[in-house]
Amino acid sequence: MVAIDIESEEGQREALRRMLTIRAFDTKAGDLFGDGELPGFVHLYIGEEAVAVGACSALEEEDYITSTHRGHGHCIAKGLEPEQMMSELYGKRDGYCNGKGGSMHIADVDAGMLGANGIVGAGPPLATGAALTSHLRGEDTVALAFFGDGAVAQGQIHEAINIAATWKLPAIFLVENNQFGEGTPVEKQHNVQHLSETAEAYNIPGFTVDGMDVTAVFEAVREARKRALNGEGPTFIEADTYRYRGHFEGDQQPYRTKEDVAIWQDRDAIESFKQKLIDAGTITEAEFDEMESEIHDRIEQAAADAKEAPYPDPSEAYEDMFSATVPEINEFARQMRADGGERQ
Amino acid sequence: MSGNRRRQTTVGLVVNPAAGRDIRRLTGGASVSDNYAKRRTAECVLEGLTVVDDVHVLVMPDSTGLANKLVDDAPADLDVELLDTTVTASGRDTRQAAERFAERADAAVVLGGDGTNRDVAHGIGDVPVVSISTGTNNVVPTPVDGTVAGAAAALVGSGAVPVEESTYRHGMVEARVDGDEEKTVRGLATLGVLDRPFVGTRAILDPGDIVGGVVSRASSTEIGLSGIPGGLLTHRPDDPGGVGFRLGPPAESSRTVRAVTVPGVLSTVGVEDYRVLDDGEDFVFEMPRGVVSVDGERELAVREATIRVRPLADGPRMVRIEDVVERGAQEGWFRVDVGAVSPERSE
Repeated sequence: MVAIDIESEEGQREALRRMLTIRAFDTKAGDLFGDGELPGFVHLYIGEEAVAVGACSALEEEDYITSTHRGHGHCIAKGLEPEQMMSELYGKRDGYCNGKGGSMHIADVDAGMLGANGIVGAGPPLATGAALTSHLRGEDTVALAFFGDGAVAQGQIHEAINIAATWKLPAIFLVENNQFGEGTPVEKQHNVQHLSETAEAYNIPGFTVDGMDVTAVFEAVREARKRALNGEGPTFIEADTYRYRGHFEGDQQPYRTKEDVAIWQDRDAIESFKQKLIDAGTITEAEFDEMESEIHDRIEQAAADAKEAPYPDPSEAYEDMFSATVPEINEFARQMRADGGERQ
Repeated sequence: MSGNRRRQTTVGLVVNPAAGRDIRRLTGGASVSDNYAKRRTAECVLEGLTVVDDVHVLVMPDSTGLANKLVDDAPADLDVELLDTTVTASGRDTRQAAERFAERADAAVVLGGDGTNRDVAHGIGDVPVVSISTGTNNVVPTPVDGTVAGAAAALVGSGAVPVEESTYRHGMVEARVDGDEEKTVRGLATLGVLDRPFVGTRAILDPGDIVGGVVSRASSTEIGLSGIPGGLLTHRPDDPGGVGFRLGPPAESSRTVRAVTVPGVLSTVGVEDYRVLDDGEDFVFEMPRGVVSVDGERELAVREATIRVRPLADGPRMVRIEDVVERGAQEGWFRVDVGAVSPERSE
């Protein structure tokens, strides 16, 4: 059964809730980063919510995803809890990676979330690997890789898609074309109009969907999943979308104008989906306001709790890193416990 | 047209860079039409236009630079320029271009699918249209070599081959939802009513979703909705009226037909009811929840709706490409050994 059945009214309300949760979470994360509350760096997903929610809704809970440096939306869409995510952003012990990963390294293998990733284009090879595992074990699961338009020009993307296509692995490659690789417009990075045209090189289906429409992304991924489980191999989907914020928080965005952003905001995925649901009688304006208010309160509480939560103890610095025993790491850990890390 | 023929022949060219990239590459056997292939076809069209002298070509601008490349690389003996319209990277570009061609062109050449041709139909008026297939569910446009199509446009546009003898008036279809003007949609070949909750990826993915529809043409050679009644009767695009049909489960329906619903998919569907409609005659659907499709794409989600669908007579004037080129050959337009015949001399 799909994670969220967007064909049902209940599923449509849940999809709206997830999109709102992503926006509220990332709005708060941006504010906290601006206030100097968060260590590291944050890349916000605001504007692109329909892609993550549409895609993850069409997956089943046992399916895998790989993410990017802009991963908060993927996490929430896959069912991760904003509270544990916020703790991770704060570097606190009860975060998903015990506070040692931060924004760009949230992972929860049990939930099928194989990790945000600080390296552009590093997710698809992991997804191909997960799809190979699924194939070898004879499982009815798929692995979906989210990656950006900039990543399409990375060599490892070619390797990942090529081998998945050749071995007909149950993978889905989903490009979030948000129109810019950092500050470079997509047309200055690629010699094709639609990034989905690159699928032809691998002899797999490639097509483009409206990434501002959660129902379109849902349908696209659902069909791609069917193909994957039929043993027909991967599908390459391009979702046209837009990030409203800078590449990173603090980006001055000299490469575009406020008017450029406004063109896409006029087609805002949350606003348009909300309006459709109101028109169809699936939700009332009052119910929407209540939903938005609940989510706002939840995120505020998550941030307040995370701020007060404990950091991991320095003695735990070398834990949770490798599943296998690594002698060098054990030695570092022993020294850390002996001298508190003075000589490292 | 021959009465007030201008010395120069103006031909409008629409190349839709967006056609041919939707989900049907996954759900059916639809071919891929990349922009390089479209540009090559359009270059062939330009070459074909040189079959007559003194042709002026207006090319629809687009956001991809495809039109600019066409202008830059045009044959030296052709006067090719970009149409002066604002690019919106949407169907509006085609509609704007069609409206301008209606005022200025003697013929138009369209590279796109049924959706592109519908956008052209909305504004092109009486200008003859040469339609070349580059989209997906292509009912209206013809798979034809671009050079031949270009020659056809030149021959019709210049008046070398009379318009009346080489074109036909395509029908249209219209759906009105609850009598609401804002919820009125018009298609060229097909209007469908689907049991789907939303527009989504636009494509008709499952023939089981089709409740019924009205088509301006029906034939088993056609892909999509028009192939369904096409299994029971043939209705030419220039026949008056259209065909309305309502589907049901194959096991419970009075008739069962096979139809190519998307390329590579031969579906079996049950037909509960069908009839030939006069122009303007409504075929009515009551839908608690559904979507109206236009020319193979889901367009409008409806709820608790009465949908009245009818054929209309006022479609675009389509060029019979093969007839025109053969007639042109009979008239000597391809015979250089006896000297080229100019449009003026043929009068």
